[in-house]
Amino acid sequence: MVEIYNVTVRYGTRSVLDAISLKIEKGDFIYLTGQTGTGKTTLLRLIYMDVLPDRGNVIVDQYSSANIRPREIAYLRRKVGVIFQDFKLLTDRNVYDNVAFTLQVIGAPQKEIKAKVLAVLARVGLNHKRYHDTLTLSGGEKQRVAIARALVNDPFILLADEPTGNLDPTVAREIMELLESINRSGTAILMATHDYEMIKSFPHRTLMMEDGKFTKEILPDAFKDGEPLS
Amino acid sequence: MKLLFLIKEGFAGFRRARLSASLAIVTIMLSLSLIGIFGILVQNLSQQFHQLYSQIYLEVYIDPSLSSAKLQALRRSIRQYDTVQSVDYISPDEAWEAYAKNFGEDIVSLLDENPLPPSFRVLLNTQYTELERIEETVAKIDALDEVDEVAFHDKLIKFINKYYMLGLILASVLGATIFFISTLLIFNTIRLTIHSRRDAIEIMRLVGATGRFIKAPFIIEGLLQGLIGGLLASGMLWLAVDIAATLLSLPDLKFSLPYFLFMIGTGMWLGLLGSYVSVGKYLQY
Repeated sequence: MVEIYNVTVRYGTRSVLDAISLKIEKGDFIYLTGQTGTGKTTLLRLIYMDVLPDRGNVIVDQYSSANIRPREIAYLRRKVGVIFQDFKLLTDRNVYDNVAFTLQVIGAPQKEIKAKVLAVLARVGLNHKRYHDTLTLSGGEKQRVAIARALVNDPFILLADEPTGNLDPTVAREIMELLESINRSGTAILMATHDYEMIKSFPHRTLMMEDGKFTKEILPDAFKDGEPLS
Repeated sequence: MKLLFLIKEGFAGFRRARLSASLAIVTIMLSLSLIGIFGILVQNLSQQFHQLYSQIYLEVYIDPSLSSAKLQALRRSIRQYDTVQSVDYISPDEAWEAYAKNFGEDIVSLLDENPLPPSFRVLLNTQYTELERIEETVAKIDALDEVDEVAFHDKLIKFINKYYMLGLILASVLGATIFFISTLLIFNTIRLTIHSRRDAIEIMRLVGATGRFIKAPFIIEGLLQGLIGGLLASGMLWLAVDIAATLLSLPDLKFSLPYFLFMIGTGMWLGLLGSYVSVGKYLQY
């Protein structure tokens, strides 16, 4: 599904990721945690090939970073959903149009777009606000729109970069519950976060990062035994 | 479906970013107007020069004893040169009349008889205005047996040529500078318009839009901005030229169809190119 082999990414002379390897299977839920600047976001960007490795190889579905052509990257991204801390919504469109846009860019028929968008908005609990302007939504609702947009193409993996970072604890828990339900339906989730309390409340395999390397791996059961995170 | 969506997106983008799109249109309109005004001024000046050139003629004095048939044959010989536009016969009487008109009846009355010889007034083609070409023609005509003398205003020709060349060089440099600055101005405005929507471009990339798909609405928008800017500039210039022609009594000053097409075409081309280059910066992969 996603295989990262011995990958190094450099920005100038600095190694942001240093000989990292990781395998993500269908239905996995993995946290990437660590201080700011340890390479979590770069690792996510590698998977949707927003950055390409200086060394090593990334394989996503049938695409390999070693020989992917620039025009194929767009097709790869249709199989990968991405959400961010700042939501990245199109503020000049309503909720429905933000989600529909993902299908419009791949030329899906109007009928299919409508059915899929309404289904995914129902899944994230926003069907009643489908014609609302995104600027009028709360932070939690904006993140739900972003999740709906990421899911509408039925991706096999959802990459989440600090998705609860801008939300208050109650709303953050609701978003985590939504992500858990998405994961239970088979979509793999790779989530970058430094919210340790959230990790403890929703325990999954956790990879700690420092200076572009994995320094520790904590399995879900270890949280029950009170495994410290920092 | 995709094409229709792209066209709709192009128009919608125009509507969504009203302020930046309006700014781009105004910039295109002003820049094209500047180019247009310069073009019309140059065209008008060039017409003035051509009028001067069309007045350049040679006076070919001929043997007064020539028969009518030989006169016609000589006329045909001169007419066949490619530098010659027309050949008009001036009889001694006509020359005398013109002389009297220019210098007054008093001087004419002092003379007992008409001393002026018959001549041809040879008008030259305006594309052959180099002094060397004119002198070549003069030499050829002068070499004909029936011709006594050829007179022409070489000083006037030198004077017109000098200022025409100077004007041409100045106009080229100034025109290129105005075009360059206008292009930069238009490019920069379009770049800023697209920069203000870089988030939208990033989102398009994230959801799997291809480079072509992302570019297309911006290019349609750029074309539209260029078209509207070109139309407004044309309208403004047409009005300005009409007013200037009336106020300055210059009936030849006109805003013609080629100008209209040039303004629209340049506007659309710059809009397209500006959008294509600017949006490309955000599409590494």
